[in-house]
Formats: sequence, structure tokens, C-alpha cells
Amino acid sequence: MTDFRVTKPKFFATTKKGENYELRADLNSEYRDRRKDAIKKVIANMTVGKDVSGLFPDVLKNMQTEDLEQKKLVYLYLMNYAKTQPELVILAVNTFVKDTDDINPLIRALAIRTMGCIRVEKIIDYLCEPLRKCLKDDNPYVRKTAAICVAKLYDLNPELATENGFVAVLQEMVSDANPMVVANAVTALAEINEASATKDIFVINTSTLTKLLVALNECTEWGRIAILTALAEYRPSDSKEAEHIVERVIPQFQHVNGSVVLSAIKVVMIYMRIIKTDEMLRQLVRKMAPPLVTLLASAPEVQYVALRNINLILQKRPDILQNEMRVFFCKYNDPPYVKLEKLEIMIKLANDKNVDQLLSELKEYASEVDVDFVRKSVRAIGQCAIKIDEASERCINVLLDLINTKVNYVVQEAIIVIKDIFRKYPNNYEGIIPTLCQNLEVLDEPEAKASLIWIIGEYAERIENADELLVTFLDTFRDENSQVQLQLVTATVKLFLKKPQTTQNVVWRLLQIATSECDNPDIRDRAYVYWRLLSTDPQAAKAVVLSDKPVISVQGNTLSGPLLEELINNISTLASVYHKPPETFLGRGRFGADAVQRRAIEEQEEASRESPIQAQVKTNIENLLDLDFNDTSTPTTSTPPSSKSTNATANVDDLLDLFGSNSISNDLSTPPQSSSSNNHQNNGITSDLVSLF
Amino acid sequence: MGAILSRMLGRLWGEKEVRILILGLDGAGKTTILYRLQIGEVVTTIPTIGFNVETVTYKNIKFQVWDLGGQTSIRPYWRCYYANTDAVIYVVDSVDRDRMSTSKEELHAMLDEEELRDAALLVFANKQDMVGAMSAAEVSDALGLGTLKNRQWSIYKTSAVKGDGLTEGLDWLVNIIQGNEQ
Repeated sequence: MTDFRVTKPKFFATTKKGENYELRADLNSEYRDRRKDAIKKVIANMTVGKDVSGLFPDVLKNMQTEDLEQKKLVYLYLMNYAKTQPELVILAVNTFVKDTDDINPLIRALAIRTMGCIRVEKIIDYLCEPLRKCLKDDNPYVRKTAAICVAKLYDLNPELATENGFVAVLQEMVSDANPMVVANAVTALAEINEASATKDIFVINTSTLTKLLVALNECTEWGRIAILTALAEYRPSDSKEAEHIVERVIPQFQHVNGSVVLSAIKVVMIYMRIIKTDEMLRQLVRKMAPPLVTLLASAPEVQYVALRNINLILQKRPDILQNEMRVFFCKYNDPPYVKLEKLEIMIKLANDKNVDQLLSELKEYASEVDVDFVRKSVRAIGQCAIKIDEASERCINVLLDLINTKVNYVVQEAIIVIKDIFRKYPNNYEGIIPTLCQNLEVLDEPEAKASLIWIIGEYAERIENADELLVTFLDTFRDENSQVQLQLVTATVKLFLKKPQTTQNVVWRLLQIATSECDNPDIRDRAYVYWRLLSTDPQAAKAVVLSDKPVISVQGNTLSGPLLEELINNISTLASVYHKPPETFLGRGRFGADAVQRRAIEEQEEASRESPIQAQVKTNIENLLDLDFNDTSTPTTSTPPSSKSTNATANVDDLLDLFGSNSISNDLSTPPQSSSSNNHQNNGITSDLVSLF
Repeated sequence: MGAILSRMLGRLWGEKEVRILILGLDGAGKTTILYRLQIGEVVTTIPTIGFNVETVTYKNIKFQVWDLGGQTSIRPYWRCYYANTDAVIYVVDSVDRDRMSTSKEELHAMLDEEELRDAALLVFANKQDMVGAMSAAEVSDALGLGTLKNRQWSIYKTSAVKGDGLTEGLDWLVNIIQGNEQ
């Protein structure tokens, strides 16, 4: 049958021609069933990743057929390989056009869908006519497929899609009689709107709104998500309209698909900003709880998404799941990421009524094996204590129980937490200090050590052997972590101020070591400052070192107002899982310089919330760097060009103010004109600092 | 078992299709001829970007008739369809005297292809219903059919719109194909 007369010398004629050669022969066979078998083999090869793009024209020849199965296979092949053979795709055009005229709506839809999926410039011109036909098709299935195709065309060539009036047709389709068509038109329009420069392509008005609300209850889950997302973008004119829409959206809470539920919640959350009726708001809060609880019965991944969203919702509406604490209790087989997220939500939900229940639960968690989870649980106990005044004593008792377990990492974490509790409720629980001090030897983590040393310093007057305790650190001072060293310096000075008679020797030795043998400038400088302070005016030193500290509150991860509002707008998207605005991880520029800068600042702030000392160190260093960088990049500008530089100067101002040297601070507030003058100013600062001591 | 048997019988007796290509410059009437042969009617056509393929049964022979687009941009892809071709129907617009030379070039380039060595050639001097149409002999001369060697060929005056001459041409083709098989 395949009578190829090879004219090459016979050395080149091998008997083995390869699979594609045989397939090509079969694709061109005179027998129908053999051609079809060959197509199936080609598709099979395609799906396992073998390159069968070379068979393109031969597969294409089998495109015109009565056999729907074969047609689908060829279309599948086309979608896959059209990009590799852009020239040859043109051969398929006629068949596409014919198929969009077929009597079978399935074939019409299939053809227009495939045509839209073939993203080859050459074929676009031929797409318009069939697309126009399909958009006006009698069959809704064809129309809904064509609607999506418009979005695809717009992506490839926006001008063509607009000039041919396809976008206008799409806008009309939102009022289609068929809900599926409406849903797809909405999806396509939303996509086009996002891609468009003007963002005015998809605007909901009163008449389309009615159509959307009708379609909402009748279309598939995908359609519902599309419509709900569109509704979330819409801004109702007044409270009444918002209430009306919300009432139509609420039935979606019962949908099985979690994404539909979350999208509905998003709409409600956004509209709640507009709704003024208190009764309605209360009712909405009540109705939102059950669907959120139901989501927690899903697979862990879905649970996680739900939890991240609940976290946001709770920050906005803390009263929403008030009575549902129990559903957030961790199950033993929850994956770690779900457990940690649940912990955070439990703290958010904690109040004086449920705190007992929560504490006994947290105590259970603290005896589990997952170290990370245990630590977070212990921290959670501390956060409860700080959040709920009435519960602080019970929390302390639980923490003491945990310390008595003598499990190393539990003890360390508990001490860190207790430090915070002491900070919040000073002079309430000194009774437990001896118990804490007994554990001094087992502490090996810097943060725990630093915490205990802080406690010792803070309550030095009530701890009889405070000096002994601190002295034990003197010999190992050089090997300690800088965090611990800083606390040691401060604690010793506090001790001295409280018990000046007996501890002079200790403080002298420590400051000696800190100033002469320490490489870390922060520790050295702090020691110097204390030393000067003590030697000039002990009373002033007392006022500074033993001053009242500002009150602390729960440190939980709460987001700033505007960011929270933006994330609420993005519920049930990736942004709500990351807790980051979409433009930080999406978009054309991806991660721009501005975003990096903003993130750095955010991180800094976050760090400063966690440990003020370290963060301060960082801030100072970074600001100095900023200043330098700014000078070289904008040597001649008279006003600082970016917020960053203002920041930097402001910060330096602050520092200088701290030293009470006004002349220099004035000097610096006018930005440096050149790098040399900058050097000069730097010298100024240094000399002033030196003169301080 | 029965299915396999009927499949084998099918292979032996009926299902083999005779592959015919309809070629020619754009606007010569290829698509009209194809549908005239298949459904016996004149259909309104648009320029074929790509191809049409239909099965036409004539005198108990199943023809798989390929109508390829004749536009300049598509002509280079004709060669994709040459494999296993039994006969070529070359359609010429008998009124379009200006492009007769182009038509000739395309015809000879095609016939030089190795894969079409054994294919029979049937030329349709189409659009005979129009005023000023060239006769069969004139077209034959213009295409240089006389110079063809080792090729079974024939030329017919046709009018796809009226349906004249098509069956005669097809009859000749059937004779040739049956002659080849014996």
C-alpha cells in the first residue's frame, strides 16, 4: 500500500522507519477505521509526552469527518500543536468554518471553542465571522461557549475584538434569557475588563443587576462564582439596595461548593459596609456563622483556605463566631498548618466566658509531640492572659503546671510568655518568680534566657539572690547571644539602682566587660550610656531606667485597617490566603522595587512588634544605609524625593534629639548637597557622640 | 468475532476508498464541482481556506474527494495531500485567460512530484456557460497537456453551475481506475 520508491542509496534505507513514519502511513490510509486507530495512537503518544507535532498535516486531514469522536480527537491534537505549526493551521480554517455551520450544536460549540484555543495570529482573522455567527446562535450552549471565546480573542487582539463589536455583543449577553449564557458572559466581561486599560467595559446597572440575581440561582457553580465576584465589584447606591442584593445572595451560603460559599460571604462582607440597619447587620452576622463552620468539615486544604478567610473576617467582625469556639479545636490528625491557623483563630475568639474551655484545650496541646505546635500553644496561653484580664491568673496557673512538667522547650516557651504577662500586669504575680528562677540552668535559648533575666532585673528588689543569679552570667557574658547580653546589662543596672549597697561591684564588673571586651556596638554603647548616666546623676538614671513602661496588648497577627479592607475585598482568592494584596504577587511587573521596599518596612514593623530591641537595632542600621544610598543616588536634589529618605532623615533627627544636640539636627534636616558634605556631617555626628562620653 | 469478520470483508471488498484531489487556481470552481458531485446541487461557496473532503459514491466506487484551496498562500500545502492519490482533477477557469500560464506552471510543478507519479489526470475546462470561454482544445494547448509523458490524462468541457460534462469526466475516471485494478 505504501509504495514509496526510495531513490537514495541503499545504505540509507533502513527497515526501521520509526513510529511516526508508520503512523503517517496509517493516517493517510484508504481505510477509515485504520485512520481512526492511527489518530488514537497519535493522541496516546501526545498525552505521554512524545513529540508527534511532525504529523500535523496528516492528522489535520482527518478533521472533516462525520465521526464526532474522531473530530474531538483531532481538535484536541490541534489545540496542542497549533503553536508548533502556525503556518499549517490555516489548513484547518475551512473545516472550522464549516463546523460552526453544522446542524449539531455540540459540533458548532466544539468548533468555536477549539478555534478560540488556537492562539495563532494567522487564524484570528478567520475567527471573526464564525464567532459572530455563534454569538447569535439559537442554541444557548453554543452562545455560552462563544462568550468565553470573545475573552480569548480579546486577550490576543483587543482592537479586533472591540472593532468587530464582540465586546458590545457580550454586554448585551448579560441580559440573555439563559442563565448559563449570562454567567459566561459575566466571566468573559470580567476578564476583559481586568485586561482593558479603561476598566469601563463591565459596568453593572440596575437592569443587568436583576438579570444577574435571577441567573445566580440557576447556573452552575462556576457561573455562580463568576456572578458573585461581579457582584462584589458592584457598589450599591444605598443601604436598601445592598440589603436587597444580600438577601438574594444569602441562599448561596448553602451551596456545596466551598468557593461559592466564600464568594457569597465576600459579597455580604463588602455590602455590610453600606448596610445601615442594625437589625439586618445582626442577622447577617448570625447567618454567616453556619456556612463558615460547615467549611471546616472539608478536606484539610479547603479547611486551611477557610481558616485564613475566617481569620480576616474575624478581624473585621469579631462577633461572628462567638459561640463556635469548639469547632476550632484541633483534631489530633489535623495537618500542622491547619492546627496553627486554628490556634490563631481560637485566640481571636477567646473571651471571659469560654476562656476556661480554651485553657484546658491549650494545656492538652502543650503536651503533644509536635514541638512547633506546642510552642505556639504555650504562646496562645500567654496571649489569652494578656487579652482577658480576668483570666490572667488561671493562665499563670496553667503555665506553672507546664513549667512543672520540666519538658525543656515547654519551660522555655512558658518563661517567655510569663515575661509578657508580667509586663501587662506588673506587681501581680511576683510569687511565682522563685519557681521560674529554679529553671535558670535549663534555659538554653536566647529568648527564654533574656526573658528570665528581664524578670530578674525588673523584680530585683524582691528576689533576694538576684545578684547571685546575675553574677553567674558574668563569666559567660562574652559567649552569650547579643539579646541576652543586652538584657543582662539592663538587668544589672536595674539591680544596682534598686540595691545600690551590695551590687556596686557586680555592675562595675559587668559594665567593664561590656565596654571593653564586647565587639557588638549596641551592647557597648548601651553600657557606655548607662555608665555615664550612673556616674553623672543616679537620680536621672533611676528615672530613665526604672520608668513606667507603656501597656502592651495582644500581639496576634492583626492587619492594618486599609490592608484588611483590601483583603476583605479579595476573600476567597489567593490574596486572602496569603494575607497580602494581590498586586504583590500578581500583575505585569510582578515584584517591583516599590513593593520590595514596602515589604521590607512591613517586615521591620512586624519584627519590632515581636522584639523591640532587635528591631531597633535593625532600624538604625537600615536607616543609616538608606541615608548613604540616598545621597549617592540623588546628590543635588534639595528636597528628599522619596518617603524613604524623609524617613531616614527623620529618624536621624530623632536620634539626634535624643542626644539633645539641636544644632546638628538642624544641620541634617536640610538634605546633603554632595557626598563630601555628607561625610562631613557624618563626622559631625561621630564627634558629637564621642564628646558625649 | 462477527465484527472482525465483517471488518476483514470490508477491507477486502467495499471500504477501500479511491482518493481524488481537486486542484486548480482560486476561483476556478473546485468547491462547486465537489458539491455538485456529492449532492447534485449548486451551493454558495466562500473561498476555501484549507480544504473540503467528501465521500462520493459513483458506480459502486467510493471516492474520497479532496477539494483544496487554490489561493496562492495555500498552494504550497497541496503537497501535504499527495500521498496515496489515485487521480487528480485539475480545474481551470476557461474565461480567465490571463492566469492560464500560472495555471500551467502549477499543474506541471504538481505533476513533477514523485508521489503523484501514477495518478491519472482529469482536466475540467470549467465555466463553459460563460461568454468568451476557451474551448477544450485551447485550454489543452494553454496548459501544455500534449507534452505530458507517461500519464493517463483527459480533458472535458464542464459547467459546474449547469452540471454539464462532470459525469462524462467521472466516467472516464472510473474506466481508468477499474483498468488499473485489473
